[in-house]
Amino acid sequence: MSLRVMLASLRRHSLMPALVLLQVAFACAILCNVFFLAWQRLEPMLAPSGLDADNLIVVDNLAAMGRSFTVAETEAGERALRAVPGVRAASAGFALPMVDSASILLNLRGPTQVAVGVSAFFGKGLVQSLGLKMLGGRDFVASEYRPWGIGASNGDDAWNTGAAQPIIITQALADKLFGRANPLGQMLIDPEDKDGHGYQVIGVVKHMLRNQLGLAIDGRADYTVLLARSIGNTAMLNYAVRVDPSMREAAMQGVKKAIERQFAPLMSGGVQPRVEFYADKRDEALKSSRATLWLLLGLVLTIAIVTLVGIMGLTGFWVQRRTRQIGIRRALGARRADILRYFLLENVLIVGAGIALGMLLAYVGNLMLMHYYELSHLPLAYLPMGAAVMLAMGQLGVWGPARRAAAVPPVVATRSV
Amino acid sequence: MVGYSFELALQGMRRFPRTSALAMLTVAIGLAASMTTLTLLHTLSADPLPGLSQHLYLVWVDTVRAKPTTYTTLDGTGVVDYKRLRMADVEALLAARRAVRQTAVADMFARVEGGDAGHGNDETILAATSDFIPMFGVALRDGRSWTAAEDAARTPVAVIDSELARSLFSTERAVGKVLRIKGHAVRVIGVSAPYAPQPHFFALDQWSFSGSERERVFMPYSAALDVGAEPRRSDGCDADTAKDKTLFSVDVARCAWLGYWVQLDTPQAVADYRIYLNNYLQQQKDLASFGRSQQAQLLDVPQWLTLQNVIPDNVRLNVWLAGSFLLLCMVNVTGLLAAKFMRRSAEVGIRRALGAPRRAVMLQHMIEAGAVCVLGGVLAWPLTLLGLALLRMQGQGFTDLARLDVSMFGALFMLAMLVGMLVGFLPAWQVSMVQPGLQVKSA
Repeated sequence: MSLRVMLASLRRHSLMPALVLLQVAFACAILCNVFFLAWQRLEPMLAPSGLDADNLIVVDNLAAMGRSFTVAETEAGERALRAVPGVRAASAGFALPMVDSASILLNLRGPTQVAVGVSAFFGKGLVQSLGLKMLGGRDFVASEYRPWGIGASNGDDAWNTGAAQPIIITQALADKLFGRANPLGQMLIDPEDKDGHGYQVIGVVKHMLRNQLGLAIDGRADYTVLLARSIGNTAMLNYAVRVDPSMREAAMQGVKKAIERQFAPLMSGGVQPRVEFYADKRDEALKSSRATLWLLLGLVLTIAIVTLVGIMGLTGFWVQRRTRQIGIRRALGARRADILRYFLLENVLIVGAGIALGMLLAYVGNLMLMHYYELSHLPLAYLPMGAAVMLAMGQLGVWGPARRAAAVPPVVATRSV
Repeated sequence: MVGYSFELALQGMRRFPRTSALAMLTVAIGLAASMTTLTLLHTLSADPLPGLSQHLYLVWVDTVRAKPTTYTTLDGTGVVDYKRLRMADVEALLAARRAVRQTAVADMFARVEGGDAGHGNDETILAATSDFIPMFGVALRDGRSWTAAEDAARTPVAVIDSELARSLFSTERAVGKVLRIKGHAVRVIGVSAPYAPQPHFFALDQWSFSGSERERVFMPYSAALDVGAEPRRSDGCDADTAKDKTLFSVDVARCAWLGYWVQLDTPQAVADYRIYLNNYLQQQKDLASFGRSQQAQLLDVPQWLTLQNVIPDNVRLNVWLAGSFLLLCMVNVTGLLAAKFMRRSAEVGIRRALGAPRRAVMLQHMIEAGAVCVLGGVLAWPLTLLGLALLRMQGQGFTDLARLDVSMFGALFMLAMLVGMLVGFLPAWQVSMVQPGLQVKSA
């Protein structure tokens, strides 16, 4: 059977195919965007943390009200944590992984003029305490750290050192900023910081998930750096404590007690320190994303079912209307397989046209949403995904009616209805 | 004729109950999704103080004596600025009394105890000046608000809401009783109804929407400072502020921590106030050396809410998503109805041959489509309630406010009717075009 005959038949009775086409177009457009939204939620969930997630305890909510913690107090805390049985490493830090009470964001520009916004972690010996995997270069050495704190004074401004400061970046950042060039020794500047002297890359770690999960999308999950800052006088701080896997629970109890002992006398105003495993914190932080993901999954299923039912209903009716034609074709020698193939192919044609329109709609819809909301560009890779689902739904929906059509006996041709 | 068409339409609906039910269900799901998202948007974009808010303006003059510290990251996040003022400016503006009413507003924090010490709560105190209560529509149940004289005299008085009164004194008749804040006695002079406009536009630094949080104590900010209540954050401090007073505690003399609102009833008054503000800023000679943008701002409530991006982006995004889903459902139902109607072309042909005009056939089928959609709307009602219950379970602060009110229920009904008209038109028209003779011949 030639395509021309098929198209002629579609043109003759255009309402039903037009409705199927329209339905597929809308469903395809919505699905592409929903897949995209779902991926934006999924990306931070799937991104590797790059650290020893199961054995890392993060201490948050240490805040001094109306005064600040001194270097001595911070270091005493560090020593107390290291003395806890089962603790392998402990560092005082600021804006550490999965800490939501504070974050440090800065801009970096490389020699290729590519500029990115990154999250930064501050603290001494974080490569060890977080359990990061170094791919090249070296860790900071003790003399490179400069004291830093928030809401407190630390003598000279730690940011303004008169020379480039060492920085450790992730592999993803190295790829983005330097392309194929060796990142080690490369210079980075902060376009917003007019008096700064920039940063020199001294090390690269494999992964380091940024602590604002909302920003960990569109391939930016690993846009994180370590700067050589030790915690000086500060009104706020965190600790990262890495523990022995075989002593997780005991070490947790020990860490809680040590924090209570060290900081209860220093804190006021009813603020309670939070001591939690990194993995639990991440799980908690992703709760609303997970809820949204279920909602989107429900939407995808509903769309699929609605479309399936729609296609089944319409084609069923359409096949019924053409019973006589089918009988004639059978009488003229068409085999059952021919009839089946005819309807399946016809469906591919209609659904294909719908998909083409739907892709266009998806793209236009995304552009519109981008215009009004902070949403990134719909990557073209999502279009075939929606298309594949629609094609599958189309074939699934037409299968039953096509089988029924193929079962029409040739003798129908001789009857009057 | 309409009655007859109605009868036929209902009969038609009963003929293939499975198809009718499917169409109804599809309409219901589409309507429920749209209504759930629309209801949330409607709740969040409602006027916080109907009848009052159109005359309220937020005043901002940037007079912090420090270099501007703006750092815009490429990730699009910056420090949020709540456009608060330093106390010196608030006092100067209050003294000038250039508006109909004016008040400072800030949320402050302290433990508030009742008569017997030890029995108390950590409260968010709404610290303001005497105009706040009439200007922001706080409903007094008993007693009075404080006066400008009491503001000036720093008199320790407070208005508390009925809930706190019951909690502290086991009675709503708490006027004349004494609160203790950090050991200081504060006399209760009024009891108000619980006050929780949504969004919480006068102190967005604390929360924007909440079904559970609200200020239960209202008092003069001068007295609140005296009894040791503390503001928690500021929008920036003078350069000479001690560093450990900038983060968790606020140096009340040097930091910008008070919001300032005025009531202006006419456009002329607004224009005059703008001129006054710019003049006020010009007089601050020592500001020029800090290189800050010397601009005064006067923002009405909608401008202020837009500036602060109070309605989360994804709420609107979901409306779009649900709307397009409804469109899909409509196309789907159009198809189902078209198939259903065309199945009866034989009998329609007979009706037409017997003299039924096209109009009658069309009407009958439009009614049938309309009925399917209205019943779908009825079904969508519990589904919407279910959707809203699911939303509230997410507990994102703003979601627990979502309720279906009368206007949204009306909107649901209208939407269902509209969907019925749109969905029914094409199939009804198609079936009304059936030729009479042809069908009679072949039957």
